[in-house]
Amino acid sequence: MTSTETAHVPAVQLDACTKEFVTPQGGSYFAVKGIDLTVMPGKFVSIVGPTGCGKSTVLNMAAGLMAPSEGEARSFGAPVVGVNRRASYMFQQDALLPWKTVLDNVSLGLIMRGVGKKEAAAEARRWLAKVGLSNFEDRYPHQLSGGMRKRTSIAQAWIVNPDILLMDEPFSALDVQTRQIMENELLDIWQESGKAVIFITHDLDEAIALSDEVVLLSAGPASHVVARYDITLPRPRNLLEIRDDPQFVELHREIWGKLRDEVAKTYAAKAA
Amino acid sequence: MSTTTIRADAAPAASAVRPPRSSRARPRSETPAMLMRFYQLLLTALVLGAWEILGRAGVIDTFFFSLPSAIGVAVWDWIASGFIFPHLWITLQEALYAFIIGTGLGLILGFLLARVRFLERLFEPFVQMFNALPRVVLAPIFLLWFGLGIESKVAFGVTLVFFIVFFNVLQGVKSVDKVLLDNARMLGATERHLIQHVVLPSALTWIFSSLHISVGFAIVGAVVGEYLGAAAGVGYVIAQAQGVFDTEGVFAGMFILMIVVLFVDLGVNRLERYLLRWRPVPGA
Repeated sequence: MTSTETAHVPAVQLDACTKEFVTPQGGSYFAVKGIDLTVMPGKFVSIVGPTGCGKSTVLNMAAGLMAPSEGEARSFGAPVVGVNRRASYMFQQDALLPWKTVLDNVSLGLIMRGVGKKEAAAEARRWLAKVGLSNFEDRYPHQLSGGMRKRTSIAQAWIVNPDILLMDEPFSALDVQTRQIMENELLDIWQESGKAVIFITHDLDEAIALSDEVVLLSAGPASHVVARYDITLPRPRNLLEIRDDPQFVELHREIWGKLRDEVAKTYAAKAA
Repeated sequence: MSTTTIRADAAPAASAVRPPRSSRARPRSETPAMLMRFYQLLLTALVLGAWEILGRAGVIDTFFFSLPSAIGVAVWDWIASGFIFPHLWITLQEALYAFIIGTGLGLILGFLLARVRFLERLFEPFVQMFNALPRVVLAPIFLLWFGLGIESKVAFGVTLVFFIVFFNVLQGVKSVDKVLLDNARMLGATERHLIQHVVLPSALTWIFSSLHISVGFAIVGAVVGEYLGAAAGVGYVIAQAQGVFDTEGVFAGMFILMIVVLFVDLGVNRLERYLLRWRPVPGA
């Protein structure tokens, strides 16, 4: 597909998507209900919402790992059937293969696409240099820090040059400082790429700082889109100072007002 | 809700227990490894010495218990004359074949049943039945089927090794981390790729962790098989010695087996450490 063709076709489009699970007791449970989501190429969209609101379900439907029970998921105009070949996924948990070295983990996507071993390794080294792990290519994942593992995951996901990046709270397990560094690096890599990103987080600061659009989901079950906010903060952004920007503060207050209500609902439901 | 209360209760309890434990462990420095070796030798000498003295004094009946010195002489005789080596070689061969065939079958069937739900459900009761069968009772039928040669011992060892590997593979393949599979799928893995890069390596960790047990059982299978009926092998030598009330011979056979298995285990340790080098060292 050429770039002119893709420019106005959504990279990801969820159309009234509902996901229903059958509970072990035989009942049914709606994770999400009637979700509409449109992500244009080159846009960075964050999804925020209280715990258990089905954020990951939304991502899994876009990835093709889960088919919606109702509605349709489309990617670049075509229905998502099976795994979405144009997307990479960064999981919340560690998803590196523990028995492969950093280099082998990063080059895996290329190897499986039939790229030669040498070529794949060269490309993987280029990516490792980009994420600052050049000296660690022979390490195994357990020998790396949490931040280094995330860097490896980023390289692993980006090396296959996907048009869409799906990120499920990728930095939630990191400490605050490492997380800010990783956010900065992510923006750096993304800015020059023209890729669509769907970024899931429960951290509103992170969502606003990174995104072009923040989508707020309601408390689960049967969660739906409560509101959307365009984030027009100028790019490139300096993430270390952006939190003091008056526009940021204003946006934060506005979105947090809504998010707080949803969080309160989640707590009320749990206490009941 | 309940989990948070449990955790909240457990936390102070755990921290209350920890300080005395660590303070008890720290001031007392541990015995150095060399000194420990010395103590171990001392203990050995004490036990063997007591055995020897009590035997010579007539407190222990040497007909049933022999003497460490006599056993030592018997072992030395067997080694010096070369008598034991062909037997040892036979036993090790049987164990090796049993290990290879048992592991191979366990791998293939475990993999198949773990991947094909229908087969797993079909075979489950039968697998349980055969696993419940005390394997020793199979020895007579194998002797009838395969004769006194090494084949019957290999078959016997296979039935021991197979189930260990089989259950480990079954468990290993089924407990592959779903996130790893999803991640590989998103990176473009086909079914074949998934097996090659994710399922097999994951299952292999389970097999390797059962390596010690399955190697041990392969040797057990060989020796017990020989004991019950054979023309050669360490088990046969022990059975022969027992037949002529040669207690030294029985003990010497035991001793040689013990040493050999110890060395085999050492080798397995090395192999395991190499193959599972990507795994975090526990406690590090």
